[in-house]
Amino acid sequence: MRGPTTITPVPGRTDEMILNMGPQHPATHGVLKVVLGLDGERITRAVPHIGFLHRNHEKIEEARTYIQIITYTDRMDYVSGLQNELPFILAVEDLLGVEVPKRAQYIRVIFFELYRIASHLVWLGTGMLDLGAITPFLYTFRDREKILEIAEKTAGARMLPNYFTFGGVRRDVHPEFFKDVAAFLDFFESRLPDYRALVLDSPVFQARAVGVGVLPKERAIARGASGPVLRASGVAYDVRKAEPYDAYPELEFEVPTRPEGDVYARFWVRFREMEESVKIIRQALEKVPKTGPYKGKVPPRIKPKPGARYRAVEISRGHLGAYVVSDGSEYPLRIKHRSPSFANLQLIPDLFVGARFADAIAILSSLDPVFGEVDR
Amino acid sequence: MSLFAEVWEAVKAVATGLETVHKRVRQPPATEFYPYKKPEIPPVSVQFLALIQNEDGSDRCVACLQCERVCPSQVITIERKRNPEGKGFVLERFDLDFVNCMYCANCVEACPVSAIVTVGAFEHAVYDVNLLKADKAYLDHLGREAKIWYSPKFGVEMRTPEGKIVKAPPEMQPGGLAELLKEAEGGEGA
Ligand code: SF4
Ligand code: SF4
Repeated sequence: MRGPTTITPVPGRTDEMILNMGPQHPATHGVLKVVLGLDGERITRAVPHIGFLHRNHEKIEEARTYIQIITYTDRMDYVSGLQNELPFILAVEDLLGVEVPKRAQYIRVIFFELYRIASHLVWLGTGMLDLGAITPFLYTFRDREKILEIAEKTAGARMLPNYFTFGGVRRDVHPEFFKDVAAFLDFFESRLPDYRALVLDSPVFQARAVGVGVLPKERAIARGASGPVLRASGVAYDVRKAEPYDAYPELEFEVPTRPEGDVYARFWVRFREMEESVKIIRQALEKVPKTGPYKGKVPPRIKPKPGARYRAVEISRGHLGAYVVSDGSEYPLRIKHRSPSFANLQLIPDLFVGARFADAIAILSSLDPVFGEVDR
Repeated sequence: MSLFAEVWEAVKAVATGLETVHKRVRQPPATEFYPYKKPEIPPVSVQFLALIQNEDGSDRCVACLQCERVCPSQVITIERKRNPEGKGFVLERFDLDFVNCMYCANCVEACPVSAIVTVGAFEHAVYDVNLLKADKAYLDHLGREAKIWYSPKFGVEMRTPEGKIVKAPPEMQPGGLAELLKEAEGGEGA
């Protein structure tokens, strides 16, 4: 059944105020409009309006060759740009039957986790900004800058590098890459206690976050939530463990979960994920062959055999999938992207109703949507 | 918790925050003083595209149309004619619309002769959007200005002060690690 698309005032009811939050509200991290019905401080009704950033990705991609599409996939979730390329590439690699060399797999994993840290740093900074704390924002963006510099040296761009390709990665890494990454990890680990002290352990933040926006496990599963939002409700589902890709089966890491399902739990899970990413990258740096091929054998013209394939990866926001249907020509017949923020945003009516208006901001930033990917 | 304990907790939290901030106050600023100090752009970074000419001033481009074909936003327009002396084609027109370019470097990746390359010139903000619709003369100009550039076929190349085009040392090459490791091993063996 279709839900209501807007809120109309109830005749005769004077205690409810209708308020438009967005689409240009600074706390909506992009362009989201939520129509709220307010009874004093309490939210009685909430209807999200999405689609302001719709760019017709899936249709455009039908008219592009496979190698051109990689450029477009970057532009979905621009905060963790590089991660978005992978599901599409994995699906096409399966259709092509291409082998990815071990070295390329590890380089992919290192980049993948670096971008997870970068994305979570943006979330931590802007999330705290929404709650009124400015200092973490300055710190996290400086740390993220270091990741982007490492990426630029090898991948050729900071946010939308277009670096992964069929069969591996596009070019070999910069000679200093592994050294840079190891140096960054040391630096970043010395920072983590600061963030913990400023954010997670701060009683001021806890007073704002504990017990706010509680998402029960059943609701999270029913709405198709994924990523940290799902794991903060006590479901240990992670695509890296459930359907491992690239070099993940050879790496050891934990999937942090938390049973509470409130804003604090979602902050906590993302925070722990950054620590796990550091662990993953350290192992990958040890195991990656320092020299060797960075790209497998790929036919010069990418023409996958007819068929369909669905592959998913765990990006910073959750389960990102790509469904590719090939008819054997140079152009795909149909591509569908399953994006995590879109599903996570469906929780807005569940979480907002009954919360205080000021808490709505905290709840939204704990969902961490990126609208390039919600609207595609 | 009594009110007094709650207030005490909050004061303690603010103090912890201030302490963390205080540790960082004396550190040097993380920002760069652009435009007084220009950032160093790695050559693989896609800031701008340029056409490289050979040392004798002839075009490297052989008008094979690979870059035009692979461009996702269809911003390269090439017109070519048969070479009057000898085989192949020569360029008549090479337009690149930097306004709609996505800076994905697919064209650089596809070029078989390393004619179109990425260069580090990044200050191309202009008042008139039409100034970013580059023609061949402008792309050639960018190529002549460039000191260092990258293309997958030849790797990072540099122009010496005398105008010679040389390959950059392995410390700057993507994948230079293999060569460096081999050199280090050879050094130890000798
Ligand atoms: S960088 Fe990409 S969009 Fe720009 S001209 Fe080259 S192929 Fe086209
Ligand atoms: S791919 Fe290279 S050689 Fe071919 S037309 Fe483009 S610039 Fe010229």
